[in-house]
Amino acid sequence: MLCENCGKNTATTLVRTVVNGVVKEQRLCSKCAKGYTGLPHGGLANMLASMLGDITDTHFIGEEAKCPVCSASFSDIAKTGRVGCAECYKTFRSELLPYLKRVHGSTKHVGKVPNSAPLSVVPETENLESLRSQLSRLVSEERYEEAAVVRDKIRKLEGENNG
Amino acid sequence: MGNWYSNSNEQGIVVSTRIRLARNLSGIPFPSRMTQEQINGLKQKVRNAILESNTPFAKSLKFIEMSAVPKNEISAMVERHIISPEFAAKADNRAIILSDDESISIMIGEEDHIRIQVIKDGLKLEEAYDIAERIDTVLFDKLHFAFDSELGFLTECPTNLGTGLRASVMLHLPVCESAGEIQELGDTVGKIGFTVRGMYGEGSKSSAGLYQISNQVTLGISEKNAIDNLKIITTQLIEKERSAAALLDKVRLEDTVYRALGALKCCRILTTKEMMNLLSRIKLGINMGILDKEINAIKLLVEGQPYMLMKKYGEMSPEERDICRASFVREALINVPT
Ligand SMILES: [Zn+2]
Ligand SMILES: [Zn+2]
Repeated sequence: MLCENCGKNTATTLVRTVVNGVVKEQRLCSKCAKGYTGLPHGGLANMLASMLGDITDTHFIGEEAKCPVCSASFSDIAKTGRVGCAECYKTFRSELLPYLKRVHGSTKHVGKVPNSAPLSVVPETENLESLRSQLSRLVSEERYEEAAVVRDKIRKLEGENNG
Repeated sequence: MGNWYSNSNEQGIVVSTRIRLARNLSGIPFPSRMTQEQINGLKQKVRNAILESNTPFAKSLKFIEMSAVPKNEISAMVERHIISPEFAAKADNRAIILSDDESISIMIGEEDHIRIQVIKDGLKLEEAYDIAERIDTVLFDKLHFAFDSELGFLTECPTNLGTGLRASVMLHLPVCESAGEIQELGDTVGKIGFTVRGMYGEGSKSSAGLYQISNQVTLGISEKNAIDNLKIITTQLIEKERSAAALLDKVRLEDTVYRALGALKCCRILTTKEMMNLLSRIKLGINMGILDKEINAIKLLVEGQPYMLMKKYGEMSPEERDICRASFVREALINVPT
């Protein structure tokens, strides 16, 4: 079925909002569902329920993005309160950041930095292919400022390759 | 030397200090999603990284497969705070690297790949952190830790990431407890990112005056700040407990302490809970200068726990244990004058 909001994309997420005791259900595409910060029931969601302003609760009804290393989906993480692997923090970064902010009041590490830290989440090989897929993902998520940075990198690389 | 609970002279209101660092390797799933093969690989990697290092403390460390440790001993390890209850619950395929005096324990395959724990008697936050930090550095040289420049050390539970540091102190606050102030204390420290639990975990509501204070927030705060804040809270709590204790009526206090001593010296059946409550009063008596400093109430309290008793005296039913505990404590206090 199509998204009840934009009517263009396939609906992948059921968003249930309770506002003043009135339950409202909407079937939305991932793009339109982005604005809802609610998590599926249990685990992390329960832990944080008290911190959330109004109750929003989302269920994935279609294909959900999975972590390439451990194949956890974001609803797996939310249900158990456990992140699958280090790579998950990269895959689901935008989903996790608001929760980290609520739990810790910050999203910036200020502690020990290992001298030769092999940063697992640092952009690995910046080849054209990965940059292009990154670009299209950022554009689809309407993260235009970050997209512009990636686009500039692509142009630079293309220039190097041609020259 | 000796365990954290056997150094009696060091203990005042602060019974012990604990530092824990959570670390994970990159490229393999966190423990919940690991295969047996990956767990085995992890154990070997950590073992080699530590034991093959030329650091002085490596000599005192021993690698132990938990599958080789008897069930009762695993529970006894929890009772003396060497491993977490979570680690013990699924100990089978996990391993630990333990120092001779048990002050260093490196749990492999708990909620995170590696949990470095250092536990010391008294208030020794810097000393304990320093040791944990050195082990961390040794491991880091050999292993690829999951680290993110924005989010710090990555952990299975997002509540631990950043520094991965949990710094705790265990305090003996019997006077504050009897004044009903622990709840309020929890609310107060909660507002600044700390938490209060009983000695044996969240569930223990009445905990013989023994409470652990630890930091909750691990992201956006440095290790030093977390430790400094904990020290400030601890200092204030010591002050609060001391000034409240100073207001107690001297004769009433002596009455409470000596009645506890009398009960412990004469009892024939002693439950864990009663033992803890009576020893808490003994400890108050020691801290207040009523009883001799040579009595180690905390050592008795730990050694009188159910599995610690069975480690020493063999398998028993709960009823047999209460009888055994009574004679164990009586024996230990036999030379204490009433
Ligand atoms: Zn839509
Ligand atoms: Zn993952």
